[in-house]
Amino acid sequence: MKIKINLKVNGSLYKGEIEPRRTLLEFLREDLELTGTKEGCGMGECGTCTILLNGKPIKSCIFLAVQANGKEVTTIEGVENPDGTLHPIQKAFIDYGAIQCGFCTPGMVLTAKALLEENPSPTELEVRRAISGNLCRCTGYQKIVEAILASVQEGRG
Amino acid sequence: MGDEKTFESIGCALPRLDAWEKVTGRAVYVVDMKLRGMLYGKVLRSPIPHGRIIKLETRKAKSLPGVAALAIGEDVPFVFGATIRDQPFLAIDKVRFVGDPIVAVAAVDLDTAEEAISLIQLELEPLPALFDPVQAMKPEAILIHEELSRYAVAPGIFPVGGSNICNHFKLRKGDVEKGFLESDIVLEETYTTPMMQHAHLEPHASIAQVDRSGKVTVWSNTQTPHFNRKALAEALGLPLHHVRVIGAPVGGGFGGKNYFKAEPICVALALKTRGRPVKCVYTREEEFGAAPVRHPTRIRCKMGMKKDGTLLALQMEIIFDTGAYADIGPRVCRNAGFSATGPYQIPHVWIDAYCVYTNNPVGGAFRGFGMPQVTWAVESHIDMMAEKLCLDPVELRLKNGVEEGSLSATGQILHSVGLKETIRQAAFRIDWGQQEKPFHGKGIACMHKSTVTPSASSAYVKLNEDGSATLMCSAVEMGQGVSTALAQVVAEELGIPVEKVAVLYPDTDVTPYDMGTVSSRSIFFVGNAVRRATEDARQQLFEIAAELLEADPKDLELRSGKVFVRGVPERALTISEIPLGESFYVGTKGGGKGKPVLGRGVFNIPDATPLDPQTGQGRNPSAFWMYATQAVEVKVNPYSGRIEVLRIVSAHDVGKSINPLLIEGQIQGALAMGVGTTLLEEMKLEEGRVLNPSFTDYRIPTSLDVPEMIPIIVEQPHQNGPYGAKGLGEPALAPTAAAIANAIYRAIGVRIKDLPITPEKILRSLKRGDGEKER
Repeated sequence: MKIKINLKVNGSLYKGEIEPRRTLLEFLREDLELTGTKEGCGMGECGTCTILLNGKPIKSCIFLAVQANGKEVTTIEGVENPDGTLHPIQKAFIDYGAIQCGFCTPGMVLTAKALLEENPSPTELEVRRAISGNLCRCTGYQKIVEAILASVQEGRG
Repeated sequence: MGDEKTFESIGCALPRLDAWEKVTGRAVYVVDMKLRGMLYGKVLRSPIPHGRIIKLETRKAKSLPGVAALAIGEDVPFVFGATIRDQPFLAIDKVRFVGDPIVAVAAVDLDTAEEAISLIQLELEPLPALFDPVQAMKPEAILIHEELSRYAVAPGIFPVGGSNICNHFKLRKGDVEKGFLESDIVLEETYTTPMMQHAHLEPHASIAQVDRSGKVTVWSNTQTPHFNRKALAEALGLPLHHVRVIGAPVGGGFGGKNYFKAEPICVALALKTRGRPVKCVYTREEEFGAAPVRHPTRIRCKMGMKKDGTLLALQMEIIFDTGAYADIGPRVCRNAGFSATGPYQIPHVWIDAYCVYTNNPVGGAFRGFGMPQVTWAVESHIDMMAEKLCLDPVELRLKNGVEEGSLSATGQILHSVGLKETIRQAAFRIDWGQQEKPFHGKGIACMHKSTVTPSASSAYVKLNEDGSATLMCSAVEMGQGVSTALAQVVAEELGIPVEKVAVLYPDTDVTPYDMGTVSSRSIFFVGNAVRRATEDARQQLFEIAAELLEADPKDLELRSGKVFVRGVPERALTISEIPLGESFYVGTKGGGKGKPVLGRGVFNIPDATPLDPQTGQGRNPSAFWMYATQAVEVKVNPYSGRIEVLRIVSAHDVGKSINPLLIEGQIQGALAMGVGTTLLEEMKLEEGRVLNPSFTDYRIPTSLDVPEMIPIIVEQPHQNGPYGAKGLGEPALAPTAAAIANAIYRAIGVRIKDLPITPEKILRSLKRGDGEKER
């Protein structure tokens, strides 16, 4: 049995049928080939599968695709500006050395984006709290935190 | 000499070359690859720690629609092993740990593969099992590998036949008993470290495909592509040109992706799928337990000192639990053994390091390669000695620390020794010696580490017609930034911006030999090879340019991407003006002339020496040594036992800084891992079964668990390093545990000798009254 779904992914409409047990992560990676969203644990623990659902970060590995029906999904592929230039958070990640192996990076960037949209001037502790569900084994987080804080200032001009 | 060279790329804090593809989600990891006709592999693993395979019924699984292939041990009777060839592709007759692979299935999708696995009937006869290496070492212990004495063993590894000891490393220097007799104080203690997981966020992944000629291609997130090619060729009896290993960006390695991991399973299946590729990705649960772990250790340490703090004698017994298969354990044991003194001059040394089989998960390489364990013991011990002698821990380390020209425990004359500078800078930065607030304490710890020696690296540098360059080498980019640092070397030597250098991912059909991205060796070994390859390319370029410039190649020089005739600045050509084989435009300048430029370079250490099997002596077991000192400040809550690490200063002798942004990243990342090692991480086992195979139950540090981290770069150039550079990837996590333990002692007078340091352990010690000595 398949269920009809209708959702927006990175601004594009998707209409189709999907097995009810398919996770949103499988749908994005396998059906839409949006492999920027990663699977690090499959149990909602590591945060590499983070996407934005109506602007809020969720872990797509423990979220069914059908639950996204009628909603708007943003993956890392949809974070750049339409002209291909990078989002200030992405720029800051590059400039501040916040990227190493890159496997946590998409989820980290999306979590940071959601944070800054809700709280445009977070403190360091607020940043650390916001990304505490996104594990990173390479960087020790310090440069990620610096990058997020720096992108706030950049955004303000 | 007097070469006051200024650098254009080397030493610059340049952003990573692969940052854009990673920050946009475009980087394609092995887990992201999908090939036409690709099948998905799953494995039936042993549910028991030790047993005989009595019955294996696979007919139902095989006939399940969607199943393309099923493989059992007898189908692929090959063995592998990085040090001892003791591991079958799939279990034959016997299983030796919970997680040992027995049957592999390839199907059209993962669900089908999983269903097929559930249809297999497996009957095992349990055998007595060993979980404690101390028990496993005993002469009467049952044997986990009855065939040990018949296995193929790499040089420098000394298994004890008829036992579970797969390596016994001995270091003998001076007369340790005499040393203890001459000491004013002798202290003996036992330290332990637990089993840990690398927890790289990208799991092990591999895709294998066998073409009609029998050529095997493997896409893998391995750290050792060329090693894997050779090992696969040897196992399958294939010539090297019939095995190809293709790399990709690796989502974290830390040693966990050295040598074969998911590859044998994929290959076993791909041999039976008539050309269809087979992909295997470990689940997180498989990562904990079926993938390699950090060796748990038990370390007995006896140290003798004069009243003034002069270190006279050290005796250690280090026992590594390497689990069911040796993997690289015997070399971890050897490395820890010959480096166990720490960066100190000690006249009398006696070390026995044992690598022991048990029925636990397999111990492999893990950032630091044995050094985190021995550093934990020695650096805790030194502080305990300092306490007894009423000496300052910083002064004690400065007094005994190695320096340029010191003799190592194996008899190596040390060069490029920045240890004492790291001690001074770390102590200064943490405000060592200042009055502490109640329940606050500062601690310090040092470390040194060798690098795998001998080992070789090679590189090609191809110049492109527009003056850009393509670097072909087999260094694996796993987050550390090696491809950016190596591109900086090419850019420096050609005088072009780093953006004009592309670095290929490893592909053993294309990129030349490299021992592997292990042991913090890449910037030194591959960096040198790349520098030589670029010099070779430059020479080839001069040969071509000489004709056009009507000059002798010897009179040419390359600066800022331009070839000049020395002393005649107006006679110059940019690299893009020099024909490299694009010779359509006959009649234009250089038309029809020139040839492709492909520079080649290789680097190894010609005078490396093995270590004597009886004494562990040898004058060049390591091409360079890395040194670091960490100073930390902690606050301990005496009522809850909670430990708060307030800040960590980590000072590193890197020889020469190639890219400070990358260096800081390596230091901070390793420090966070060190904090996890100290306070959080421990794989809990019961009868060989991992009880906490998830990130909920095995906690790695989150953004809220790491303190302020202050990296300090010390440069003590190495004469053989490229621009003086040495390695850096591993050191920072080794001293963290001891530095924190030493700080905790100074805060509340509690000494913990078993990692991790949990609030429970602190409270238990306080209840025993350990804190009463508190000053």
